[in-house]
Amino acid sequence: MQLPDKMVEYLETVRQQIRWKKAQAPVLEEIRNHLSDQKDALIKDGIDEETAICKAIEEMSDPVVVGEQLDRTHRPRPDWPLLAMTAILLLFGLSIQFMIGLDIHNGMEMFYKQVIWSGLAIIVLLVAYFVDFTIMGKYSWIIYLLLIAMTIGGSWFYGRGYARLTAIPLLLFPTIFAGMVYRIRNRGYGGLILCGATAIIPALLSLFTHNWTVLALICLSCLTILTYALAKGWFNVRKLYSLLILYLSSAIVLSMMFFTLISQPYARQRLQVVFNPSLEPTSSGYIGTVIQRFLSNSRLIGEGLPVNGYGQYPLSHLLPGANSDFILTYLTYKFGWIIFIGIILIFMAFITRSVLMGTRQRSLLGQLVSLAIILTFAIQWFTFIVSNSGFLLFGPLTLH
Amino acid sequence: MDKSLLSGSTTMLILKLLEETDMYGYEMIEELGKRSKNVFELKAGTLYPLLHTLEQNNMLISYEKVTEKARIRKYYSITKRGRKHLHEKAEEWGVYTAAVNNVLGGVDFATA
Repeated sequence: MQLPDKMVEYLETVRQQIRWKKAQAPVLEEIRNHLSDQKDALIKDGIDEETAICKAIEEMSDPVVVGEQLDRTHRPRPDWPLLAMTAILLLFGLSIQFMIGLDIHNGMEMFYKQVIWSGLAIIVLLVAYFVDFTIMGKYSWIIYLLLIAMTIGGSWFYGRGYARLTAIPLLLFPTIFAGMVYRIRNRGYGGLILCGATAIIPALLSLFTHNWTVLALICLSCLTILTYALAKGWFNVRKLYSLLILYLSSAIVLSMMFFTLISQPYARQRLQVVFNPSLEPTSSGYIGTVIQRFLSNSRLIGEGLPVNGYGQYPLSHLLPGANSDFILTYLTYKFGWIIFIGIILIFMAFITRSVLMGTRQRSLLGQLVSLAIILTFAIQWFTFIVSNSGFLLFGPLTLH
Repeated sequence: MDKSLLSGSTTMLILKLLEETDMYGYEMIEELGKRSKNVFELKAGTLYPLLHTLEQNNMLISYEKVTEKARIRKYYSITKRGRKHLHEKAEEWGVYTAAVNNVLGGVDFATA
């Protein structure tokens, strides 16, 4: 029997919320039958077919909510290969750090710390993997406020010198932002403005704690998430108008931030050194100069040529963070550009796979959350690669 | 799995219906509405996630049956575990309502 369009549309929306493909068909069959039963019963009561269809759908309640509840009931089985792959990469990273750590003053101490942090990270990862991700939508406001409290508390407690630690909660903002956009997706222009307001607060916090990397990350990912949501027709607003509002207001806010920053002498000086580290080769441009000089002496395969002007010291002693923030520079000089290229390729493969998995997400919340996570990860990676090439505008604050 | 679905009184009502005879979803909503004189208007959007959760917890099992109109219907049947859960819930409910009645106005109020 040919189903009426409205029912097909309803069923399709429900289907899109159920992420576990195997569960979809039988569940939809059941719901389709229910709708047909309801419709037939209403027609029997003397209602015309068109109204009966509408009433049947109405009595079923919101397809997104129904689909989400069914999605929660039908949890997919864990993707063990993916988890195993993550574990292998983590162990690989740790063993490289161990090897370099042997070579560095207090390197072993840092290695042990890293082992402890990795242990914690695995616990967090497993919790995040197995926990029902729809809480991102449900409790996004509470998590948002908690993150803000943690950032403010952290920077008050540690002071500005520990920008790294205060950056950790800020990194989660784009993901939570996705949850919030999802929550207020039906609220029209008011909702859109609310979204903008919620994005500005963490952006300002990262500005005040001098986390330029995080600032860029938050602005870029929140803007992308909102663009995506608007392009999908959320918020029930006119696409062109709302995109115009979004980009105009972002441009104003960002340029205000930029001019405040640039008006401070220290920031201007920092910018100059970023573009040309050799202006200050022994002070603020030191790291940039070391990286650029050693990289220019690196070969495609094998250890790089000796660099003049630094005495007999090996790179691991000259470059702070050779086993962490600038590990890629170190490996490139030690083993050749082949490592640099290889790591970029692995990263590209990883991102491509994530994007593919993300586009296969039919659940709306799932799509947006995976977009946010991919963006966070990609921007972190990008800043890591760029700073390991000696361009230090965005410190590699947060990777590892 | 959503634990909150299991705790509600809706679970008890559904299990009670199925204790008497096997039913499919639409039938349950109709029957519940009829018996409660339309006080309980269960939404299908609530019913199916609940049924699926109960099935995953082995309180129900389902089977398919083809109707006269060649429609495939999914019937639900209560299991031993489901019956046990129902009796526990019913007992709890009894204690609860008795307590509420005691507060509101004694036994007379409850039987009036």
